[in-house]
Amino acid sequence: MSDIFLEVKNIYKAYEGVQALRDVTLRVGRGEIHCIAGENGSGKSTLIKVIGGVVTPDRGEITIDGQSYSHLHAIDSISHGIQIIYQDLSLFPNLTVAENIAFNQLVEKKVKAISWEKMRSIAGQALSEIGETVDLDEPVGNLSVAKRQIVAIARALTQGARLIIMDEPTSAITRDEVEHLFSVILGLKARGISIVFVSHKLSEVFEVAEWVTVLRDGKLVGVYPAAELDDEELTFLMTGKRFDIAPYSFDRARIGEMPLLEVRNLSKKGQFRDISFKVWKGEILGIAGLIGSGRSEIALSLFGLNVPDSGEILLNGNPVVVRSPEEAEHLGIAYLPEDRLSQGLFVNQSIGDNIVITVIRKMLTRIGIIRQSTRKETESHWIDELEIKAPSARVAALGLSGGNQQRVVLAKWLATKPKLFILDGPTVGIDIGSKSNIHEIIRDLAVNGMAIIMISDEIPEILQNCNRVLVIRNGCIEQEIEDISATSEDSLFEIMAAKSTEGEELC
Amino acid sequence: MILLFSLVVTIMNPAFFTLQNFFDLLHNSSGDAILAIGFFVALLSGGIDISFPAVAIIGQYIAVNALISMHVSNLVLALAISCGVGIAFGAVNAFFVSVFRINTLIVTLGTSSLFHGAMLELVGTKAVNAGQLPKCFTDFGYAKVLHLQTASGTPYGLPLFAIVLAVVVLATWLILRHTLLGRIIFAMGGNFEAVRRSGVNIRRVHFFIYCYVGFLAGIMGIMSVSLIRYSNPTYIVDTELLPVIAAVVLGGASIMGGSGTLTGTLLGATLIAMLQQNLVLMGLSSYWQEFFVGLMIVIGVTVTHVQRKFRTGNRLTFVRD
Repeated sequence: MSDIFLEVKNIYKAYEGVQALRDVTLRVGRGEIHCIAGENGSGKSTLIKVIGGVVTPDRGEITIDGQSYSHLHAIDSISHGIQIIYQDLSLFPNLTVAENIAFNQLVEKKVKAISWEKMRSIAGQALSEIGETVDLDEPVGNLSVAKRQIVAIARALTQGARLIIMDEPTSAITRDEVEHLFSVILGLKARGISIVFVSHKLSEVFEVAEWVTVLRDGKLVGVYPAAELDDEELTFLMTGKRFDIAPYSFDRARIGEMPLLEVRNLSKKGQFRDISFKVWKGEILGIAGLIGSGRSEIALSLFGLNVPDSGEILLNGNPVVVRSPEEAEHLGIAYLPEDRLSQGLFVNQSIGDNIVITVIRKMLTRIGIIRQSTRKETESHWIDELEIKAPSARVAALGLSGGNQQRVVLAKWLATKPKLFILDGPTVGIDIGSKSNIHEIIRDLAVNGMAIIMISDEIPEILQNCNRVLVIRNGCIEQEIEDISATSEDSLFEIMAAKSTEGEELC
Repeated sequence: MILLFSLVVTIMNPAFFTLQNFFDLLHNSSGDAILAIGFFVALLSGGIDISFPAVAIIGQYIAVNALISMHVSNLVLALAISCGVGIAFGAVNAFFVSVFRINTLIVTLGTSSLFHGAMLELVGTKAVNAGQLPKCFTDFGYAKVLHLQTASGTPYGLPLFAIVLAVVVLATWLILRHTLLGRIIFAMGGNFEAVRRSGVNIRRVHFFIYCYVGFLAGIMGIMSVSLIRYSNPTYIVDTELLPVIAAVVLGGASIMGGSGTLTGTLLGATLIAMLQQNLVLMGLSSYWQEFFVGLMIVIGVTVTHVQRKFRTGNRLTFVRD
């Protein structure tokens, strides 16, 4: 490592009895791209907050640009040019791009009256520094996540950033956009700005990071040059376990039986056209597609939330019409939504309540009171079955880790004993260990006779867990891939992204 | 949407649009418009301040009684007292909102009852009629800028009230559009957490917002007594809350904060004023007024929300802002 810009040494931090960081050291050089890798709970977020001066460590030394601090304040960190871009980007959706970019600088300089020209010039300059153009007058709320990220980066630059920390920058953007982000990051590096990003998306870590600091359970596992690591090695370092990544296999002989689900020529104006496919019991059918390809819209039409304009849906050979989630549930169809926090869970309610909500009606006595014994039985059954880690069933769902929250949502739907389970992005934002565990749960369900549709834009997830894949592009089925084992990550991506241009008409 | 509505009202009353009637409308509704502007500013920041009717009447009643007991007739003094009361009231609201982080609706609900009740108990409940009212109020009520005459010789003119409204509009516009404080107010309605993270002194902003609402309510209190030449301490509180809220939401401001325009608020205020005037002219009882105001609130909020959903693209049933 060249010239060190930031060094945090021997950091200890505990929160109410939990040791978040134990003797962690991190060194970042000037113009270096450094990744902090680790599962949820490894201490990544705490470490970032320590660097930013938002959290004070119990023990340890922080040196920025040669200056040592025993007690770092956020103001000091910012004055040295350390900028944190939080995962939610901290932008104002109702204000324009120009205002968002210029905001922090204006607050810092304590200006009273503002000139819109000045704001536009500050914003324009910041954007040109990263070679980007975004409509300065567009309200940020109308922008895609990727463009919002550009705005957040531009804002970071307005205060003379020397080190930008990005918390999970790639979790909500498409593969194309990830490539673009990386080119922006390389551009920043060329200007001597260091980048620290926190990620658990392995493939991306390797694409752009130079050094990787691995944390596990609050301890430093090691610092490695990215070039010396690979997926397997990094996973092992992050989790301490090795995972079997053999793809899911499905007995082809069963093709003779009637498919559980058959979809014929499903179409909906502006979203998808002529979608036809079959799913057999015991299969895990992957639906791969970039954001905006129509994949979720197709799934929702099977669940009663997006009634198609034309086409047929057949369950076990019988045509059905699904007009609402209730009807879907009665037909034995379950759907795990994309966003577990806002669509899958009642975050402030207890885990137990979340789990039984779908089947609560079956637990009522004749006069409508809930049978507590049945309820408790159902709750503990699923908590055990899916290994949901929580102190009790009465804890609010909000407090759980991403992986455990997703397990609660799974439990909720499994309680309805579905025959067809549609999973939309089942492991988004979940760390490696939990991811693998959830994949195991899904595979077990399929082996036991459930038909599964898995929608994802994480190519490794698709390749490892599906026996067949439909690639959706611009609202149509681009290709159906039968032989998963012969498909590489790159070739699948190419099919998903083939000649993709913004604003292209539906196929 | 609001333009469509204006058209509807226009059609309802073609004879209505004479300059005289317009000036008349301004005269009667400038006070409410000023209240609407105050509510609008607080709403932008994500706060719902419903204490403004109480502030207006308290400021008014105290100012009127103070002037009477001092045997003084000075409009500026009256305004100073009323606005002073308003600012103090606002400060109390801001205190609870920013220090204890209590929801503004609840805080202002509580404080308005608290202070109104205290005033009725401590200052009294005796109404002040035109005969006892110091002359400065009556003068203010009649004051006109620009004197004109109708064909039949009746004098009329642009009321001074309209000028006061214009000043308030201009000041608010400058603040909202051309100061960092104004942009912070919008920002708070858009993403409060992000404002907190950016190091802004939120307490100071809260104090400004709620004191501004109080200040404007103080102005309206004086305008009100000058208009009707009667100061009854139970007025305003029961009658002005809903029409003002209706005006603001009809004008397109989002009930969740962060978006809305001053122009919209003014148009909304105009529409509500015209609606109320028409209902009176049609001889309908005040219960119909209540019905229509409520209807306006529901329509205003619904249309604004639906428009937003449309604009961000029809994202199926899951609406993610």
